[in-house]
Amino acid sequence: MQKTKAAAVGIGEVPSGRFPERSELEAAILACRDAILDAGLSPRDIDVVMPVGALASRHFNVDLVFSRLCEELGMLRSAKMNVQVMSGGATSSSMLAVAEGLVAGGLARNVLCVHSDAVGSLPKQAGIDLFSTTGVSEEWEAPYGHNMNAVGALASNRYMHETETTEEELAAVCVSLRKWAELNPHAMFRTPLTIEEVLASRMIATPLRAKHCNMLADGAAAFIVARAEDAPHITSTPVYVRGHGSLVTHYTVSQDTDLARLGFEQAAAEAYAKSGIGPESIQLAQIYDAYPVWPLITLDGLKLCRGERAGAFVAAGETAPGGSLPMTTNGGMLSQGHTAVGGGIAVLVEGFRQLMGKAGPRQVANLVNAVETASGGTWMDSHVTVLSREH
Amino acid sequence: MTATARPLPVPSAWSAGYWQAAAERRFVVQECKSCDKAIMYPKRVCPHCLGENLGWRVSAGRGEIYAVTAQLAGPPTGFADHLPYVIAVIRLDEGVQLMSNIVGDGALGARIGDRVVVDFEEVEGTVLPVFRLDAGAETRDA
Ligand SMILES: [Zn+2]
Repeated sequence: MQKTKAAAVGIGEVPSGRFPERSELEAAILACRDAILDAGLSPRDIDVVMPVGALASRHFNVDLVFSRLCEELGMLRSAKMNVQVMSGGATSSSMLAVAEGLVAGGLARNVLCVHSDAVGSLPKQAGIDLFSTTGVSEEWEAPYGHNMNAVGALASNRYMHETETTEEELAAVCVSLRKWAELNPHAMFRTPLTIEEVLASRMIATPLRAKHCNMLADGAAAFIVARAEDAPHITSTPVYVRGHGSLVTHYTVSQDTDLARLGFEQAAAEAYAKSGIGPESIQLAQIYDAYPVWPLITLDGLKLCRGERAGAFVAAGETAPGGSLPMTTNGGMLSQGHTAVGGGIAVLVEGFRQLMGKAGPRQVANLVNAVETASGGTWMDSHVTVLSREH
Repeated sequence: MTATARPLPVPSAWSAGYWQAAAERRFVVQECKSCDKAIMYPKRVCPHCLGENLGWRVSAGRGEIYAVTAQLAGPPTGFADHLPYVIAVIRLDEGVQLMSNIVGDGALGARIGDRVVVDFEEVEGTVLPVFRLDAGAETRDA
């Protein structure tokens, strides 16, 4: 078990969806402002700003790289460093690990992590094509018509083959996430969804239908990481980073040799060992989704289904409101919306929100320990982080 | 290239031999002459020993389907006219994997474990290795 070195002390977020009138910059500023106010800090307490890579606009991304937010938010001549962190969908976990390392190493006291993007406002075909080039090899896969929905479809095909998971069970993941999203005012999709509706939607890439697939969204979220010893003096609701584990398994999906498992078993074993908190003590699973197969693979790898198959566990309602293991209570990318890299940031921020006791009507009662997961690109890497209210 | 053009491979210095062989309707995989391992897709240095003495091994182009999907809607630019088409991850008998299309009889019903054999498809002057179900083979037990 490792010494706890870092804690989240503030969060901010704007609603996800299509907001063509709201620029990425505006969303970033508002999310950062809310996180700073939530922590009770001043902008001049922030010594490192870590903006996540943005995909929809190169111009905005260059602004993020070049300290635009320090200028907009009153951090000039107080912030010491502005540095971009980027590992696609895994950035939530990896930037938290980087921030933890910076505060643990004495290089920073308060790190402001922020994501903002507007992929939801891209024309539809531009969105498809953007995600047909993220982790898809231009030379070896794109000529065969590969794309992000096909990545999810290939993994679903392999996972269903190895585990006998059914189409209904994949649909049950979407339904569980939607039930949480109904309680989340920041979610893009909040109307009730049934398994029958998912299975009646148009087939896109077998076995995935339209409602198995995420929808691109605009969104922004931010959080602040402080030293564990400072955290209780900053806020009455610090969330401690107890342990992280991860493994890179491929770049292109065609090179993964264990697509039904990825690296989650190894990542979870590392995170559980470092944190001293095992799967039996996890009360909330903030699982990176994007397609329903990934939460199932992740739940299996993290050993959170009490020996049951993940598909059966979700279909029995265990991950929905009222279930024994609340999962991804913001609604995930399938219901809050796929804000590019921010889909994972929103899942992580919701984990902080729940552990801070600020989740309103979807608050999980008596919560102490949670786990957050993420994966980037074509699920190239598997990340697991154990979070706790306890030091 | 028009807005609707299908993307085609742009060979690198170290992959040109693969595409040149395909143009001659021969199928090869890369091999490391230092550690004797097969490599796919072709790399600049051997990922097993970091050696640079790399060459080509003639392959029968046989293997089995590791994962497969039939794309019916929502394709990337350049593929709207090709729907439906089948994308598969293929595990070659050499032990390496690659992505390709399954074409020909029964392609839309292709399943994990099906044996496949290489074929070639010319797209706007570029020859792409593709695969068809291997009618002579049996096994389906991946
Ligand atoms: Zn070698």
